[in-house]
Formats: sequence, C-alpha cells, structure tokens
Amino acid sequence: MSRFKLLRKAISVGVVTEKYPYEPIEVPPGFRGKPRIDPLKCIGCGACVNACPPDALSIEDDLVEGIRYVKLFIGRCIYCGRCQDVCPVEAIKLSNEFELATDKHDDLYQVVGLRMVRCRVCGRFYTTYRQLENVLKDLPEEQRPYALLCPDCREKIASLYTSYARR
Amino acid sequence: MSRDNVVKIFKKSLWVFHLNTGSCNGCDIEILNVFAPFQDAERFGVKLVGSPRHADAILLSGPITREALPRALRAFQAVPEPKIVLAIGSCACGGGIWYDSYNIIGGVQRFYEILREKLGIEPPPTFYVPGCPPKPEAILYAIGVARGLLAKKQVAEIHIESLEEAMNRLREVITDEYHRVIEEYVLGKPLVRKVVLKEV
Amino acid sequence: MHSTVISKCKELIELLNRYGRVIEIHDGALLIEVDEYYLHELSELLHWKLNGYYTTSIGVDERPLNGSFGVYHAFVLDDYGYYVILYIKVSTGLLKTTSITPVIPGANWAEREIMDFLGIRFIDHPEPYRLILPFDWPDGIYPLRKDFPYNCKASVKDKIDEVVHGSTSTVKDVEELSSRYTLVPIGPYHPALHEPEYFELYVDGEKIIDARYKGFMVHRGMEKLAESRLTYNQIPFLAERICGICGFTHNTAYCQAVENAAGIDVPERALFIRSLLLELERIHSHLLWFGVAFHLLGFDTGFMITWRLREDIMNIAELLTGNRKTYGMNLIGGVRRDVKEENIEYIKRVLKNLENEFRDYMENIFSMNELVKRTKEIGILSKEDARKLCVLGPHARASGLKTDVRKYHPYAAYKYVDFRVPVRDEGDVLARLLVRYEEILESINIINQLLDNLPNTPLQAEYDGIPEKRLGVGVTEAPRGEDFHFVITGRDNKVYRWRPRAPSYNNLQSVPLMLRGEYLADAPIIIASIDPCFSCTDHVIVVDVRNGTRKRLSLNRILG
Repeated sequence: MSRFKLLRKAISVGVVTEKYPYEPIEVPPGFRGKPRIDPLKCIGCGACVNACPPDALSIEDDLVEGIRYVKLFIGRCIYCGRCQDVCPVEAIKLSNEFELATDKHDDLYQVVGLRMVRCRVCGRFYTTYRQLENVLKDLPEEQRPYALLCPDCREKIASLYTSYARR
Repeated sequence: MSRDNVVKIFKKSLWVFHLNTGSCNGCDIEILNVFAPFQDAERFGVKLVGSPRHADAILLSGPITREALPRALRAFQAVPEPKIVLAIGSCACGGGIWYDSYNIIGGVQRFYEILREKLGIEPPPTFYVPGCPPKPEAILYAIGVARGLLAKKQVAEIHIESLEEAMNRLREVITDEYHRVIEEYVLGKPLVRKVVLKEV
Repeated sequence: MHSTVISKCKELIELLNRYGRVIEIHDGALLIEVDEYYLHELSELLHWKLNGYYTTSIGVDERPLNGSFGVYHAFVLDDYGYYVILYIKVSTGLLKTTSITPVIPGANWAEREIMDFLGIRFIDHPEPYRLILPFDWPDGIYPLRKDFPYNCKASVKDKIDEVVHGSTSTVKDVEELSSRYTLVPIGPYHPALHEPEYFELYVDGEKIIDARYKGFMVHRGMEKLAESRLTYNQIPFLAERICGICGFTHNTAYCQAVENAAGIDVPERALFIRSLLLELERIHSHLLWFGVAFHLLGFDTGFMITWRLREDIMNIAELLTGNRKTYGMNLIGGVRRDVKEENIEYIKRVLKNLENEFRDYMENIFSMNELVKRTKEIGILSKEDARKLCVLGPHARASGLKTDVRKYHPYAAYKYVDFRVPVRDEGDVLARLLVRYEEILESINIINQLLDNLPNTPLQAEYDGIPEKRLGVGVTEAPRGEDFHFVITGRDNKVYRWRPRAPSYNNLQSVPLMLRGEYLADAPIIIASIDPCFSCTDHVIVVDVRNGTRKRLSLNRILG
C-alpha cells in the first residue's frame, strides 16, 4: 500500500530538471565566481598576494625592462574572496561567472603588466608608477621628495642626516 | 589529438569514469549531483560506469597524493584509447591549496610530466574545469564544450601598460620642486627647513 | 544551577590536584602536567569512574620552546562540562613514554599516529605498526618535527615501479597479519580502485570473521602546511577543505580554538550566524547520507527523493554565502557576511515546505517492511563496546550514550535555544536511521528559533594581535560526531601546532567489531551506517579464509 502512495507522490511533484544549458541560469547576488583584476585600477601593491591562501596570485618583477607582472591563475584559485577584501583600490573583484571550462592550460591565466619607476639616485627599479601616485597623494608636502628614492637610498640619506645631527 | 578531432570521434554519448585521487569529496559530491534530478546529465547520454574499461572519459578530482599515484596510473592505462580527461576542481587543475605539500604530486599537469618522462606516454586531450567545488552546471557546460556543442568562453587576458600612459599619470603630481630637492640631496647639501640638529 | 556547576568544578580541581598542577587554560578546559607514573590511574579515573570519555592524543615537537617533546591526552567530562588535558613531557634522548591503549582501546590510532609523525615510542602498545605513512617511507624521517621542511617532496620512483614492474611491495603489510590468519598471496594489483580507501574482509563462506580498514590514502600534509606557510586568517580556508561535506564545522572549531586561546569575545550576531550555518550543514549532510544509505539498500527512489529535497538547502546556502558547499564565512573574531532581512522570510518558508514533505516521505518509507527487516538487529554495537572504543555522534547516540557537545559544552549560540537530543538504545542500523531522522527535524526547529531572535551587534571583534604560546581547545558537533581542534599559538602570525581530529577517526575503529558474525550482503549498509566519508565506503576486498582466494568486489556486486 505504501509503495503506491510513494509513487503517486513522486508523480505529483512533476519534472524538476532545470533547462540548463538550453537556457541560462540565474545566480544569486553575492555569488563567488571568477575573480578578475581591473587592468586600469590595479597599482601592483601585492596585498592580494599576501592574503591568497593557495598562492594563485603572484608578482614577478622584470628588472631589466622595468615591468611588474601581476599574475592570476584561476586554476588554483579557491574562490574565497580574500583578495577582494584586502585590495586598497578595489581593483580585483569576484564576478558572477562560473562557466570556465577550457582545453588549454594557458587560458587559465590573467596577466597585468605595470611599468616601474627608476630611483633618482641609483637608477634601480623599485615600485610602479601607479603605486607611487597612490602614495604621493596621501603624504604631507615636505616628505614627498623622499618617495622618489628607492628604500636603500632613502635609508642612506636619512643616516646622512643623523650624522649631521651628532656634530 | 586536438579538440576538433575529439568532436569528430566522440559523436554519440560519453560514458564517464569517476576517479578520486585523494580529494576532500566536495567535487565528488558535485559530480554525483550532476546525476540527481535537478541537473540530470543522463538526458545527454552521459552515464557513470563502474569499470574503467567501459569508459570514454575520466573525471579526475583530487590533487593526486603520493599513495594514490599507482592507482591513478593504472586506471589511466586501463581506459582504452581514444580517451579524454576532464580535470574537475582546483585541486586537479593546479594542485589546490596544498600544491607544494610533501605528500602531493600536484594536479594533472605534474601527472602528465611524470607520464611523459618516466613512461613515455603522451597526455590525452584534457579539459580543465576550475572551481572549488565547481557547480554541477559548470560540469555540464564542460561536457558540452568537450563535445563541441557549446562555445568556450574562458581565454587568457594579458594587458601591459605603456610607458607613456604610466609617466603621464605622474606628470601632474610631481612638480619641478621635487626634482630640485632631490638634486640637492645628491649633492649633499642639507635643506634649511626640516633639520634634525639636536646637539650642535 | 549556576552554583552547583561551580562547586562541581572545585571538587574536580581538588581531585586532580593530587596528581599534578592544574591550570585553567580558558573557560571550560583544564590542563594538568603529570608524571608518566600516574597515567594509567588517571586515565581510568577520568574515563571510567567519572563518566567521561577519552577523545584524542596530540604530539607536539616543543624543542624550540622547552627542549623536549610533549604528548597531550584529552578527555571530555560531560557531567562537569569540562575538557581535561593531561600533559606529559618526553625527553629528546629516550623518546619513549607509556601507552594508555591497554586501559582505553580507543587510543590505538592516535598513538600510532604520534609514532609515525614524531618518532616517539609507546611502551606496551599492542599494535605498534605504521598507520598513516606508507611502509616504504624511509625510517628516521618524521614529517611533523620542526626540522623537516614542508615542501620537500619524496621521490615517486618506487610508486611508478610498482605499476610498471608489479613489485610486491605490499607483502610486508600482510605478513604482519599472517600469524593470525591464513597467508593470502596478493599477486598483481587490481586495475583501478574507484576510491582510494577500502576495507579488507576475511570471510568463511558467507559469514565475516574479521575486517581490517586500510586507508589514509588522502593524507595531504595539512598540519605541517598550517605551521609553515599559512597565517592565522588563511587557515580557516584550509580547514574547510578537510572534508567537503562537513567543512564549516572544521572552520568554526578552529576559529573557536584560536579565539579561546587568545581571549577574543565574538559578538553575538556572529555567533547566531555561525549556528545557523552549522545547522544548515547538518541538514544537508544527513539528507545526503540518507540518499547514500538508500542507494546501498537498493532503494534508488529514496536516493532521488532525498537529493531532490536537499537541493533547496544548497540554494539557501548559495544565497547566504555565495557558494553551495564551501561557505568561507569565518575569520578569527567573527563572520564576513550578514544575513539580510528580506532573506529570512524566504528561508523560513522553504524550511517549512521541506519539513512537511520530508516527514511525509519518511513516515511512508519507515513503514515499509522490507526496509525494516534489512536494518533491524543488524550491525549491533552494545553500549559497553561503544564506551570502550569512544565512538561519537549519532553512532553513539543510537547505542544508548547520551552525548552531544551542543548540550553539555555549549558553544556559539546554542545556549540561547531549546532543543532535544534524540537517543535510542537498540544500537542497530535502524536505530541510526531513526536518530538521524529526528536530528533533521530538531535542526529545523533550531533554525527557526535562531532566525526569530537575531540580535543587533557588529559582525567582527576588534583585537590587537594574538599572543604566543597559548593553548586553546575548540569543539563543535559535526554531523558525524564531536570535532575536536587543538591549537598552540605561535609568533609571526602563524600557528605553532594545530591538530584537527575528525569524528570518523574514532568511529571507524568500531567497524571490525560490528562486522564480525554478520553476513557478507549486510556489510555495505553496516559500514555506511557510521557515516564515514562518502568515498571510503565504495570498495571492499573479500578474503576467503577457507580456500585462500582473494577477490575484489564492488559493493554493487555484493548487493546483487
């Protein structure tokens, strides 16, 4: 007796299969899909690289040409959203995309290249133009020239000052 | 074997074999979910078989632990040619969150390196399905891409800033004043304001 | 009620003071440093006389801190609401200490794991064999010692040789058993196991004589990774991927352990949101288990029905957290996202429909004679055996043990809600089915209470860094049992030692006992009834003791 009841209930529910892939499906707001770096906003600071648990984000500096490459490998990404939480300029955001299948391994990378600045004293590349711009607007006026030097030269100049002070 | 050849050879339904090489079971449950009433992959002729000898495709999940390596090799060799591999989840595509741990081989790419170097086997066509875990609809999409029914959307994106563009941004912020200040530092002359002369 | 609890603790502390110095590491946990001499006496006192139970053992390489190794044995005292941890120092020179397995059989695996990873020998341990590391791992190299780098990969040459040349590297494993059973030649390997874990059953005709669990193929080196590369706020994401089904409980237990160690007070709204997600996970895990159990019993309609009902829960989870399964909502000190007002009505409506449909179906299914006959009085685990082997969760509750972390050591928001803990006495497979059915209904009740009373506070606590060298214990009730996390904080924003102990670790030790004397055809449902990780119930190896043959069957073949 109970088997017929079960069958009747099952038939009364009807067909629940989604019409995907013939029709697209909606994802709820706040869905954690593929992350994407906005190439016009990223400043190359590396906060996302520190926060990423599986090291899917990495930074490689080409110190000959003077380009900083920010690489995002979505093959290893765990879609946690920590990079979105810590980015100071909101350049990396998780979108709604989940249809990411591909047949080439190289398709899973996004690379953003940013130009680097030379130090005015020693000539080595030390940071990107965009990060320098981001930092300069918050520094007080008299300290801005210091920002144009690389950390080693800055330290040397500062120690020059203390040696004057001791005289 | 290129992707177009895959489409030519697998004209009809695809029978899949699920191989778990040490995953956390998240991707495995999503694979089972593809056969549940809401997504129902069996409409497309996709069937989950119990023996690798009956299969056309391998659904690989897990970062391939050192213990699971012989089993993965055997299963791989048991599936008859022609075959394809679908690497499901971020553990299979790139090694996952533990890609450099001492007991992990590290995903499908490293597995293929071992096949090539130690056994001289060329890797079969592979489709990567990132996600942690990927939605069942994403797995259906991947099967559609493998069969050539759906268009591939994910491509590499490379964007390199030009030097002109970068320098233009700074030109508004940095004035000649700064350059003069720096030249003075280089020549060693201290500035009159901002001096730290404590004991003279 | 408050005053009796405090006075019970005073009496407990006085009792324990006789054996060593007692320190209260945080609210609800005590640490005693004892000498090995008192170990057996104290274990008997805590496990048998005071009605507590042993839960796990942890080994720590403390040479950078105080020049020796340390072994911690943890006990749970439900009547007092306390965790008691015994701390024994092991000197670097001798590297051996007393084993508590002769007194408490449930400590077998935990001590073998310490032997594997740190090289400490336990005197009088009945089975001092390798547990997790493979037997071809070189001697003298212990992964959890501080001088072993986490990313030093071992060579895979031997593993490939096994496949190519068919070397008999597993014969050594079998020889250890041959003194008790007929030696069975292993021969060339079977092509492709579906899952990387399996049980070995020794049979005589159709009846099972003994069973052995061979697993730990999924060892990924998580504890070592957490000490080396990851920071405090990255480990919740690692902990979530210990298991794909009950990931959020591991996440929460780790965060609770660090918050207890550092003394951080989590705001109330975050506690309510954590409890809400924990209960959602319990419902989805039990529905998944029902589907798998019905499939193993041959009732595929039941599989499809329960997985259809489960889809609603996955949709709610996706709405609240952004992902169907790995929620990623916890950080140390709080949660990352809020529950919006407009979603609360939707959740309540969906859960009401789910409850009505589920109740309807289950009453129908439990009245089917075939199901009841196949599960009644099969795979019985008596109350004394359950106590000896320290089993946890619904498995223990179906054998008459009244234990639930949510009631006796309340965490998160459970002290604000009212619920019942279902307990049954029979100890067979039908009792486990009924216990889980009732738990789902209780969870829906808890969620309704939580949603009605969400307080209005911030979501994350502000704190100034985490002090080092503090111990912390974080425990939650996972769908499978009690989940125990032990943390020692370190410096540079990293953990010094993290030990997650999943409940299936204790439950799996009871499988051989339940399988003895049962028919082969009942083996799949008995193994599945303890709810181990889904992937390890799929394959069994059947060894016929009478004629010495060994064949591999998939569970589908056994079912016929």
